[in-house]
Amino acid sequence: MAPSRRSVSRRGILIGTLAGGGLAVGYLLRPRRYPLPLEPGRDEYAFGAWIKIAGDGVVSVAVPQVEMGQGVTTLLPQIVAHELGADWRQVAVEPAPASALYANAVLAAKWAPLWMPAVPGLAEAPEGFIARRWAEDHRFNVTADGTSLAAYEGPARAAAASARALLTQAAAARWNVAPEECEVAGGLVIHGDKRLNFGPLAAQAASFSPPDPPPLRAEPMSERPGEFLPGAPLRYPRLDLPSKVDGSWTFAGDVRLPDMLRAAIRHAPIGTSSLSGLDETAARGLRGFRRFVRGPDWVAALADDWWTAESALTRAAPRFRVARGSDSGEVDRALDDAMALGSPTRIHLTGDSNAIEGGLPTQIRYEVAPAVHATIETASATARYENGRLELWVGTQAPEAVRTAAAHATGIAAGDVLLYPMAIGGSFDRRLECDHAAQAAVLAKEAGRPVQLTLSRRQEHFATFPRAPAVAVMAARPDAEGRPIGWRARIAAPAAAREFGRRFFSGDAPFDALDAVARTADPLALEGAVPAYAVPNLAVDHVPAAIGLPTGRMRGNAHGYTAFFNESFVDELAHQAGREPLSFRMAMLGHEPRLAECLQRAASLAQWGGGGDHSGQGIACHVIGEGRIALVASARRDENGVRVDKLSAVADIGRIVNLDIARQQVEGGLIFGLGLALGCSPNYTGGRPDGERLSDLALPTLADCPAVEVEFVDSAADPADPADPGELGVAVVAPAVANALFSATGLRFRRLPLFAEDM
Amino acid sequence: MPRLTVNDHPVEIAMDPQTPLLWGLRDGANLTGTKYGCGVGDCGACTVLVDGAALRACLVTLGECEGRFVTTIEGLSADRSHPMQQAMVAEQAIQCGFCTPGIVIGGAALLARNANPSEAEIREALTNLCRCGVYPRLIAAVQRAGRVMRREEIISAAPAPGIAPSDAARKVPALTLPEKAPPLNKTTSERQEQRP
Repeated sequence: MAPSRRSVSRRGILIGTLAGGGLAVGYLLRPRRYPLPLEPGRDEYAFGAWIKIAGDGVVSVAVPQVEMGQGVTTLLPQIVAHELGADWRQVAVEPAPASALYANAVLAAKWAPLWMPAVPGLAEAPEGFIARRWAEDHRFNVTADGTSLAAYEGPARAAAASARALLTQAAAARWNVAPEECEVAGGLVIHGDKRLNFGPLAAQAASFSPPDPPPLRAEPMSERPGEFLPGAPLRYPRLDLPSKVDGSWTFAGDVRLPDMLRAAIRHAPIGTSSLSGLDETAARGLRGFRRFVRGPDWVAALADDWWTAESALTRAAPRFRVARGSDSGEVDRALDDAMALGSPTRIHLTGDSNAIEGGLPTQIRYEVAPAVHATIETASATARYENGRLELWVGTQAPEAVRTAAAHATGIAAGDVLLYPMAIGGSFDRRLECDHAAQAAVLAKEAGRPVQLTLSRRQEHFATFPRAPAVAVMAARPDAEGRPIGWRARIAAPAAAREFGRRFFSGDAPFDALDAVARTADPLALEGAVPAYAVPNLAVDHVPAAIGLPTGRMRGNAHGYTAFFNESFVDELAHQAGREPLSFRMAMLGHEPRLAECLQRAASLAQWGGGGDHSGQGIACHVIGEGRIALVASARRDENGVRVDKLSAVADIGRIVNLDIARQQVEGGLIFGLGLALGCSPNYTGGRPDGERLSDLALPTLADCPAVEVEFVDSAADPADPADPGELGVAVVAPAVANALFSATGLRFRRLPLFAEDM
Repeated sequence: MPRLTVNDHPVEIAMDPQTPLLWGLRDGANLTGTKYGCGVGDCGACTVLVDGAALRACLVTLGECEGRFVTTIEGLSADRSHPMQQAMVAEQAIQCGFCTPGIVIGGAALLARNANPSEAEIREALTNLCRCGVYPRLIAAVQRAGRVMRREEIISAAPAPGIAPSDAARKVPALTLPEKAPPLNKTTSERQEQRP
């Protein structure tokens, strides 16, 4: 869709060389030095790439991850404030530009199968050396998969510890005492009754050489659930909220530049489409309308205001020639065919494969339809092109990829693109791909004036690639007690992660990416399919399906459907065996005490009654990385369909940096997951999604929002990776609600969204 | 040219009267706190007060606002002091912040006519969509704002913007006024210091 789909194949060459062996060593060992990405201002002193301290004592923390509501603008500064010994009121924050110094090596290692598909194991090695070097070379600071803490807590903390040591040295020198006798707290260096704040010390401290290794405090930042009574004040309130209640927090579409034009756009339907007709004369006479700009598979209108640009497009009624237009009927057929005829690839095996071959006594089919993000902010970008240089204001999870794509689209070098990272109005991984930024760049170049492109709601849905659909046949061989001694998950789904990887890392056009991975097995597209339960013989098979509809990343990703398959299935097995669903699960979790504790606590929080007698209670649990969650849902059916009354969740996400942000994420993840369970699923006809309006997508509202209670297990384990506890909430809610509806109605709901099935 | 009063300023917006108020505010008046999310009244991100009533700014034209009083999020208070603003921050009932201005305005309109709304009344009044999922905190936030309006509680969760460095330094021991570099916004800080 962007004019910039090819490009960046150089990465492929680089990786190829690396995989070849010989050359790789020299490439890896060459020493690197990178310039500081944030220049200190007047009377400001830099402490590494992370911290600046000003003469007045303001501590500015660089945040190289984009804020989209998840709270990273608070979490990283909080880690710095704790380690530095700062007063929270002296801490400021600024978004950091892409730089090798902010490489997200953790995500690079996780996504190695996507950028180094030939030999991903090389980069997934625990020390992550190859992934780190690759991430640095590509200034890869993507915000995704809950890697922010795992990737950045260490370096931010080290920078803060180092700055604290230097400030202490400076104060000790003034007082003529030993630095070891000083402490730092509340933004002050303290020795006996003497105290100095950071401001007057900063200049001298920055001139010393930093200690190696940095002297870390004994305890990392941690807020323990037991320390906070209900109603207790927040110790680290979010830094971004005050400006969010007075309209001053700006998104990409709020940027105002002198002489700026507004642009609206019409995309071709999802397919291999091109623009075939446009009634340009129809827009004549619209006051403030400037002109149309045609792209290969889009057309934009430029005007003095957005409404006029949008009206011009409505009048000009663009027409498109559509080939391979995506179609829901074709999607369903492709999944059915894959399940019936496709050749599975076994991506996981425990125990004896003979025990799980062929027809098993219990086989149940589940289906999940494509689902869209429906962010309230539609895609928006602002661009200014002057003298061969491009400035871009855009909210993106992948700034360097956007920079490269925009450079390619306008025919300039990436070094001539300056990207200002803007906050995002809810992404849920929708803004991992930002074709609209390159489009805005092309428009600004064409217009010779700054241009702000904003997608209409309908266009946002045309430009969204949904979460992949999937069909599973879950099979089990129960023992005399009804417990599975064999478990086989056969999942037909597109190779969604690899497909995204082709677009993201190789610059493939959407349908080229589809075709390239059509018959490829994709373990990342089946994440979470291996249940936490102890089952002696267990296999997970992927049957790749070519569904003719491009798919994209979404919060929770594959966990959004694999948790539904596993937790619906285990619930059915329990009922089949006449066993109570909670104890049935517990009996298989002797090796997983942390998940077992979540289940037990969620049950007691919700006053779990066993789910029998039409109580309408359902239970489910799920594990993502080191994060664990259990949920009891109370649901029923009424004249309006599904009614979810209450969600009671207990999560173990290891050490928690900011308790209320963690709670926000679990709450929000549950609500988001509820949306996916009950709606968010357009139908596609000829590449056109229905559900042009948000009201067509059955999104959760306040009116039907269940009561939500969330508790956390007190834990000193490493923060869960992925650290985004929202993904846990997204994954666990659909099966818990489906199981609750079984309890309430006696009917099994084996398809998402749930309302799609006959009630 | 439609003439109306926006945040207590009489303005004439040089746009077609058929333009939705939303775009008059965003592109005509550069008041970007009012957000576009759908254009058809579904999401509520563009909610503003028109003569005190919460309306979707995408559903009313500039021409229809001729002579009326419009209050946007920027004009709700000068210093984030409206109880609804304070309560939203205090309850951390905000994530990405895109739907927040509409919710704050919607809550303010509700509280203006009923400072003690029941849970059911809040659920009915706030039809705004939020995809981050702050709903579980909204009832508490609105009810807390109501307590502030009824003078049963005080919140100071969201500081006023533009606090002078000298004022900040008086409150926070970790901050000082630097000797070398005077603050850039000297006139602002002087003006604020003269306040009683």
